[in-house]
Amino acid sequence: MTQRNRELIPSFSRPASQVLIRKVARYEEDLFSVIHESLSEFRPPVTGRTVLLKPNLVGHDPQGIMNTHPAVIAATRESFLKLGASRVLIGDGPALDRDTQAILESVRLIEYTGKLGSDFCDLNIDAVERVQLGTRASRLKELFLPRTVLGVDYFVSMAKLKTHHWAGVTLSMKNLFGIVPGSCYGWPKNVLHWAGIGPCILDINAAARPDLAIVDGIIGMEGNGPVQGSAKSVGVLIFSHDPVSADATACRVMGLRPEKVRYLTQAATMLGNMEVHKIQQLGESVEAVRTAFRVVPEFQELAERPSQ
Amino acid sequence: MELNPLARKAPELAATQDLRGQLLRLIENSQNQDGGWGFFAGGQSRVEPTCWATRALAASSAARGHVDRAVSFLNAGQLPDGSWPAAPDMPSGSWVTSLACLVLSRCSTERRALAAGIQWLCEDFPRDSNLWQKLLSRFGSKQALVAHNDEYRGWGWTPRTSSWVEPTSWALLALAAAGAHPLGKEIARRRSLAVGLLYDRMCAGGGWNCGNPRVYGVDGEALVLPTCWALLALRNAEEHPHRAASLAWLQKQVPRINSAASLAAARMALTAYGVAPPASPCLSDYSVENVVQQGVHVTAWAAMALDPRFSWYSTSSPCGDGT
Repeated sequence: MTQRNRELIPSFSRPASQVLIRKVARYEEDLFSVIHESLSEFRPPVTGRTVLLKPNLVGHDPQGIMNTHPAVIAATRESFLKLGASRVLIGDGPALDRDTQAILESVRLIEYTGKLGSDFCDLNIDAVERVQLGTRASRLKELFLPRTVLGVDYFVSMAKLKTHHWAGVTLSMKNLFGIVPGSCYGWPKNVLHWAGIGPCILDINAAARPDLAIVDGIIGMEGNGPVQGSAKSVGVLIFSHDPVSADATACRVMGLRPEKVRYLTQAATMLGNMEVHKIQQLGESVEAVRTAFRVVPEFQELAERPSQ
Repeated sequence: MELNPLARKAPELAATQDLRGQLLRLIENSQNQDGGWGFFAGGQSRVEPTCWATRALAASSAARGHVDRAVSFLNAGQLPDGSWPAAPDMPSGSWVTSLACLVLSRCSTERRALAAGIQWLCEDFPRDSNLWQKLLSRFGSKQALVAHNDEYRGWGWTPRTSSWVEPTSWALLALAAAGAHPLGKEIARRRSLAVGLLYDRMCAGGGWNCGNPRVYGVDGEALVLPTCWALLALRNAEEHPHRAASLAWLQKQVPRINSAASLAAARMALTAYGVAPPASPCLSDYSVENVVQQGVHVTAWAAMALDPRFSWYSTSSPCGDGT
């Protein structure tokens, strides 16, 4: 079985990361063309291989504002298949409600993807393996993580562009809390809160190392996210092979300062690039799509200018 | 109170019993060699699916062999401190200890493992209930963010974390089923605190979510599964307006349920309160394949919900007296 726990590269010897921003005004647009073209830029080595898409499916969301939109998930799946992947799985372990089927029904995923059968994996109840946490950012020494995540050939974190009332922002790195199995740690995965949300984000990302990050910012969420915030139209999709760069760029798009997000600054020392000069911007510029997000008062310091 | 409002028109009953029979056979056939069940057929044996599968099968004396092997699996997997881990090789116990105790209290005549499990539950205090954490939360910024009465305490999913609705509910059920225990006084105290916690954590308008009814001044929405487990746990508690409100919330919610898991749990909870579940939606709307795809635990919940004798709920009847 493949272990995703790859070597960490210190920032001084790390090459620049590419981040692609694409404007997409509405979910009803031709997402397949946009996403296929964008993925092709990164030349993902997926021919004949199994890909796992890990969207953010946090709860019942008939309005489509808290979860990665099913249209984005379906178009990404189709794109990877067209790029030659032998199988594209979709998997998540929702954090607050263990009735994953009810969440899938509420987001109408199957209407977009067609019948998934065993191509959907409820990561909350997958078989698990012990993973030693080499980063030791949190006090956790190990986690039991899903075999599907650890064994897949190519792993994609598909986040929603959202603020978060405990973490400041929830993007492609925080999205990996959804791979921590509820059947081991509960609903919510409270052990991660007690061990520190930021440090656990680092530990989990170092252990699972997504190959690609996609952030759905066509409609994001501001304020009291990740569940009770307000919809915010931004009209972007963000792509990067470096989740730290993707999230730092997403922060900038939201009018937030990534250097004030503690877990991102720590991630920049071991997992990826956060600084502007180490990010090669493709597609749209940040300035062209910047849309200021409101944050809860505890994270006001993240804002580049006072929230309205 | 009438505990069997499932008596319906004969054809409907026949259809549901046919479904139940199929589900029970599938559960039997997916038992692993070690006596446990995984979440899916052939998967690694885990305590949680093993407990639900055993409870579903325990109603049938014909399944006695499966139940005995499951009890052996549970006995073999108990940790030295009396708890059970949620997955093989996990070093510490968790909420599945309550589920294991529930099974052993009904299906095993050997009481040592059960007594040790109950003792572990009595000694497992969530971290948010200690004095230091109470002080921190009282004077820290989080007090304004969440609205809890920290005098109450229940159980967490894992040791040294916070109290949550579902593990608290299962611990209450386990303590109620355990019968006489040397820690009787402590059990009574923990049950009282836990019942208080459940009522404190109820969502506005009735029902429960995971245990955060209000964050940043915004009411959270109740969810079906936690509401069902809490109602089952409170079935024998004193009457309380929050319980009635939550039962009413669940009744209103049932027509909107869109999954086999929530529907099965709702049917169990309503039946426990003598309320006939509405005719639609019903579990026979779901194919066997659909139910099984949700996991062994959901398959077991559906079989339990369709049990016309409701024998899994009784704390007095031992295993295998249902048929």
